[in-house]
Amino acid sequence: MSDTEKAKHTLESKFDFLKDQVRVQRERRLWLEVPKDKFFDVFDFAVTRLGFNILGTITGLDDGADIGLIYHLFALDGRVLNLKTRIAKDKEPMKTITNYFPAGAIYEREIVDLLGAEFEGLPAGLSYPLPDGWPKGQHPLRKDWNIAMLDQANKENK
Amino acid sequence: MATALFNMLVFPGFLFLSVVSLFAEYFDRKLYARLQNRVGPPWFQPLADFIKLVAKEEIVPSEADRGMFNLAPIFALAAAVTAFLYIPLWNLSALASFKGDLIVVLYLLTIPTLTFFLGGWYSRSLFSAIGAVRSITQLFAYEIPLFVAILAPALLAGSWSLSGLTAYYSAHPFYWLFNLVGFGVAVVALLGKLERVPFDSPEAETEIVAGSFTEYGGRMLAYFRMAIDIETVVGASLLAAVFLPFGFFASPVLSFVVYLVKVFFIIAVLALLRTVFARLRIDQMIVFCWKYVAPIAFLQILFNLFLKGFVLG
Amino acid sequence: MAENIGYPIGPGHQINEPSDFNFVPKSKDEMRIPIGPQHPALKEPESFSVALRGERIMGVDVKIGYNHRGIEKACEGRSFVQDVYLIERICGICSHTHSTCFVQAVEELAGLEVPKRGLYLRTLVAELERMHSHLLWLGVAGHEIGFDTLLMYSWRDRELVMDVLADLTGNRVNYGMNTIGGVRRDITKEQVENALKVIDKLEEQTKYYIQLGTEETTLIQRLSGVGVLSHDDAVRLGAVGPTARASKVDRDVRRDDPYAAYGDLTFKVVTDDHNDVYGRTLVRLGELMESYSMARQLLKNLPDGPIAVRAPRKVAAGEALSRYEAPRGEDVHYVKSNGSENPERVKVRAPTLANLQAVSKMLEDRYLADLPIVVAAIDPCFSCTDRSIAVADHGTLSWETVRQWGIDWYKQERGIDFTKIKWGKQ
Repeated sequence: MSDTEKAKHTLESKFDFLKDQVRVQRERRLWLEVPKDKFFDVFDFAVTRLGFNILGTITGLDDGADIGLIYHLFALDGRVLNLKTRIAKDKEPMKTITNYFPAGAIYEREIVDLLGAEFEGLPAGLSYPLPDGWPKGQHPLRKDWNIAMLDQANKENK
Repeated sequence: MATALFNMLVFPGFLFLSVVSLFAEYFDRKLYARLQNRVGPPWFQPLADFIKLVAKEEIVPSEADRGMFNLAPIFALAAAVTAFLYIPLWNLSALASFKGDLIVVLYLLTIPTLTFFLGGWYSRSLFSAIGAVRSITQLFAYEIPLFVAILAPALLAGSWSLSGLTAYYSAHPFYWLFNLVGFGVAVVALLGKLERVPFDSPEAETEIVAGSFTEYGGRMLAYFRMAIDIETVVGASLLAAVFLPFGFFASPVLSFVVYLVKVFFIIAVLALLRTVFARLRIDQMIVFCWKYVAPIAFLQILFNLFLKGFVLG
Repeated sequence: MAENIGYPIGPGHQINEPSDFNFVPKSKDEMRIPIGPQHPALKEPESFSVALRGERIMGVDVKIGYNHRGIEKACEGRSFVQDVYLIERICGICSHTHSTCFVQAVEELAGLEVPKRGLYLRTLVAELERMHSHLLWLGVAGHEIGFDTLLMYSWRDRELVMDVLADLTGNRVNYGMNTIGGVRRDITKEQVENALKVIDKLEEQTKYYIQLGTEETTLIQRLSGVGVLSHDDAVRLGAVGPTARASKVDRDVRRDDPYAAYGDLTFKVVTDDHNDVYGRTLVRLGELMESYSMARQLLKNLPDGPIAVRAPRKVAAGEALSRYEAPRGEDVHYVKSNGSENPERVKVRAPTLANLQAVSKMLEDRYLADLPIVVAAIDPCFSCTDRSIAVADHGTLSWETVRQWGIDWYKQERGIDFTKIKWGKQ
């Protein structure tokens, strides 16, 4: 069994709700979706016990009624665990992971700016990457956003 | 009276000095470029730069002190040119000389640094303030070694006048070889005075934009740059007069050529040092000057004292 | 099974993030100077609000986002093939990086296997890019510390690499070498010979720089003890690339997660334990030597065969994560497809974003004079980092408007009419 398969096996045996959920797409690539309430148990296990202790980045997705969050975790030997979860758009906040990865704050801020998610416990900081004076409520990466909406908002603010 | 005016303003005064300075800047930049495997500027580049700057618009920051801001470059220029009058060039005596003119020349050469500080400080700009403070800080590091190194040959000659100094060394050929260590120290200290790499912290382009000169533009900047060029030639001439006091022939043309060779040799050394070193941080520069340069300068003075007292009489 | 390897997790020091960014002094005995967004020290726009007491830096607030161009959003509106060219233009120096990383993800989604020759050519251009990037960095570092001679010499040598790249790919930057399924251009025997000669010359020159780096006192004095980042901090703050490897963090995607032809090559991962800018210099010089060796292996063992496989227009639904070791560090691309011609989501995490967190830490309690070289030492590429919508002065411009404006400008100002140009067969 390769190390990737071993990781899949360990995850599935540790958490029964993960049975057959972990997908090995190719060598060194694991994909897993976890509901939000169970997310942090799996996250903590993967980071502190399974050796996926490097945060690559956090991808935010606009999934219709939800915002999808994918945490790309790397291990020192090159394996990648892509841990997905969802939060209801504009309704649920997500807990921050900056207590594990302080440098992850900027990835979370990017999702706050571009997708309008909210992260509880994210320390105060500069917004990134949108410029100052960007109208509130305009989140460019949402599927229903286009540049005409920005023009409109700017006109209204004038 | 007319000759004196001619001497001061034209030859070897202001006009001559300006021409030589512009040529010296070209020489320095061309040598620097060739050492870096580049082509370098054409001979008229410094003159072109000067004319271009004079033609540009002058912007004085609204918060700056207009008086100080505008006077600083003029004082720098005036001080550098005045110092030139007391340095023997190709005659045994300078245009004007009196007992103690060596000290006066050294003080006159300090004035440009003070004007850099005042100009930068009264610009009321952040980068200028930092550059101005660095200028003055650097002054504390190189001034002592420079003074001590220049006083050493004067001590040996027993004269505080530059003309007296050259007279002594002409009378005793090869005595100038005793001062070679001091020559080395003086070249390093001159690098600091002229704010050239490795001692160009006050004008570090990548850190504080242009230091004291950040807010300057147009005519005032042209005068500042001219003042620095003139200070280079005056400093090199001073070093040539003090440490290389030979080659004063009966024929004035020959002496003139020897003088030019000496000055351009020193400028070539400065250009070479500019090429091979990185910029030292201000704290590193001070440590270097006080740890290595100053003690060597003092050694030179002790050596000269010993020579004067026990060997030469 | 990999147990917890004792990698430090969690904040090791107090991260004080500013909630607003300005240049007003926060206390009586500090002075605040702005470095950026435009400054002679910076090659790209970023803004640092530096709190100074005399010459000592008390703190640095970092603000980025000036180069944000909206590329991720733009990718969603274009086909996969168009996106290859768009993604390549995220950055000039690491263009092949982004293009390859993206193409690898799409190839994984489409289930394509690139032929060996294509992989070798891709890797060859990647290593050539690494060479030119590191030589560029060497020059920039020299310039930041006032050592212009190093700038002139290293950029003169860099011209040799640029000429080889122009010879192989047709352009000095933005090579356009990748396509989904392989590479677009093949190389001839003469080009291989020429490239080998150039690499020999470059290796000789680099040995001189290594000698310079180890013997020249002013250089060592300016670079040593500057921008210190301990091993633990490098890990906690997520540093990547030479910045991390100079703190003995032994991570390199080429060895850990091999892609393209790296599985066939023998090379060393260069690390150093100086923990400072000097270490980063040595790491980059070492990597240059390794690049020369790798490029030679690639050129000498170039397999025959096709250079690409046909790629489908519509890419199967799915998601893929691709990693690449850019000259600056690890580049991460995530691509999600929904079965159509356009991607559903493209996410790019450039290496400089990971290294930026470390800059504030590195500048703590250092001198102002060190700021330019410390920032330059992470080899910042803010074009890679930010990718947003530029709001021009003429109101917000849509992509179509900007494109049309460009076409009109060229027609008016330069007399070039794009509609009249006959585009050759690509």
